[in-house]
Amino acid sequence: MEEFWEGALWALKIWLSMIISLIMIPAMFGFSLGISETYMNILVKTLEWATLKIQKANTDERTLKASASNGLIQREDGSMEKELEELRRSRPKPPVGGDFTLSDCFYFTRRGIESIVEDEVTQRFSSEELVSWNLLTRTNNDFQYISLRLTLVYGIGIFVRYCILAPLRMKFWLSEWVHVMCYRICARGLSATIHYHNRENKPQKGGICVANHTSPIDIVILCNDGCYAMVGQIHGGLMGVVQRAMVRSCPHVWFERAEMKDRHLVTKRLKDHVNDKTKLPILIFPEGTCVNNTSVMMFKKGSFEIGATIYPVAIKYDPQFGDAFWNSSKYSMINYLLRMMTSWALVCNVWYLPAMHQKEGEDAVQFANRVKSAIAHQGGLVDLQWDGGLKRAKVKESFKEQQQKQYSNMVVGDDSSGNSD
Amino acid sequence: MGASQTHSEYQYLADKTGFSLEQIKNLHKRFQQLSGNEDTISKENLDSIPALANNPIRKQIIDAFFDKRNQHQEEVGSFEEIGFEQFLMVMSHFRPPTLKTTEEEKEALRKEKLRFLFNMHDTDNDGVITLEEYRKVVEELLSKSGAIGQEAAKAIADAAMLEVASTNVPHMAPDDFYEGITFEHFEQILKGLEMESRMHIRFLDVDTTTMRCGKSTS
Repeated sequence: MEEFWEGALWALKIWLSMIISLIMIPAMFGFSLGISETYMNILVKTLEWATLKIQKANTDERTLKASASNGLIQREDGSMEKELEELRRSRPKPPVGGDFTLSDCFYFTRRGIESIVEDEVTQRFSSEELVSWNLLTRTNNDFQYISLRLTLVYGIGIFVRYCILAPLRMKFWLSEWVHVMCYRICARGLSATIHYHNRENKPQKGGICVANHTSPIDIVILCNDGCYAMVGQIHGGLMGVVQRAMVRSCPHVWFERAEMKDRHLVTKRLKDHVNDKTKLPILIFPEGTCVNNTSVMMFKKGSFEIGATIYPVAIKYDPQFGDAFWNSSKYSMINYLLRMMTSWALVCNVWYLPAMHQKEGEDAVQFANRVKSAIAHQGGLVDLQWDGGLKRAKVKESFKEQQQKQYSNMVVGDDSSGNSD
Repeated sequence: MGASQTHSEYQYLADKTGFSLEQIKNLHKRFQQLSGNEDTISKENLDSIPALANNPIRKQIIDAFFDKRNQHQEEVGSFEEIGFEQFLMVMSHFRPPTLKTTEEEKEALRKEKLRFLFNMHDTDNDGVITLEEYRKVVEELLSKSGAIGQEAAKAIADAAMLEVASTNVPHMAPDDFYEGITFEHFEQILKGLEMESRMHIRFLDVDTTTMRCGKSTS
């Protein structure tokens, strides 16, 4: 029995040192031996095979089509005007003025109930449902016994992930290397494969880089390809340790929580940093919170008021290999890191978009929306008008008033045309 | 999968409200999302739905969920919080008729929908929609701050009321006081209206998260 354990330990040692030399050393110097790529290829093949197995047994399920819509109900796509028109057509026009009828209530009631059953915003804050199964039970809520072979593969998968990959990655998180090397190792540790597109548009010094936000790993991804100055709050705990390590290598702009409330102070400090042309470009995530990477939420206008050059960057994760979304109200940081480290891998695409400036006569909000649309368009994400802060707070009254205005314009407009004869 | 106790509860709800088991499961998930995994929903939970904020009559819609009259149990008043069963009962008003629904059932469904709308207008539950109550609804629908001022909104409500009165009580003398719209009048006005396609929501039957295969029992 003892010999068995000795032998196992020895095998493990050899295995570890092999892994370290083959992965860590190349990682430090930024070139690859092609191992990650082969690993990824094997991964893709395995997942495809697993998906096919499931699909074969599933020929009469409509899940594929329904998952694409990801919804509970089928919605009418007609506009308010069209539907109200149809409602009224079935009633004779009233002889007296006032084109207002009881039937209009139907439309609004129905829309209201639809919103209660399902709405766009809440959907964005739960992890994206996957059509295929990526051998992680986390993304598909239900998992049933399928076949012996699949279970075996799954078992091996667990072994590989928890016993081999995870301990390796733990090492990397607490190291204090030089800025870019540190991030490179992190990226390798997560088996991250990042494709950078349009590198000629990379952010320059003295500018502001804005990107959509899905997880803290976004920072790792972007810093792999260049140095940035961060803006943000000082955190306690593990995040604080990481932050302090980063500060030593590059000048950043950190704020106390109290300072964050004072917008003018924040703006001034950012402006100073930006005007100094030797300082690194600032990295900002204007959504203000992590979104689940299917859409881009409203950008907060603060960073767009500074008047510097904006370099938009679109980040899109490939959900097949691991769900990078961090739901901060549901999982703590450590929990999230653990999940990340035990996923298969991280594949993402980063697009550098050409620099944008605020146009004449354009206010900060319009500028922010313009940048947001560009990022959403490039990343293939849905461009939403909603505020990311809705994850935690309620909606403003002004939205209700907008609909009221639209409806009343309809009623008054009709009225005047009806009475003009 | 799932406890058999939940299954029998769902079956009871399915029989009571007419939804399928699949739809009830989906709605239960939604209920838990809205309630934050509690057993009951309060008005604040519904208030915080962003898409609902756009709706001019959202207060009336939310109140309808907490209105005891919509539970088909001859009670009046309103709840403070509702559980899943009451939630489903209100939702069932918007269930579309299936192929198997007979003519009488369709009539009954239609009457239910009209009753729901009537209750929404008749806030003090005296069985009549008075001019005041009607005006309130009109005001909510039209903008308080926009193109239509309060006076104009009042005028529109009055005109609509007049129209109702003239169709239902054709020989009213100029000095007669029209009390309000009773449920029968309400039905009369909206008799010609094709409601079947306007007042229902097509609930999808498919459970989007499960991929069953091979050995499932459903």
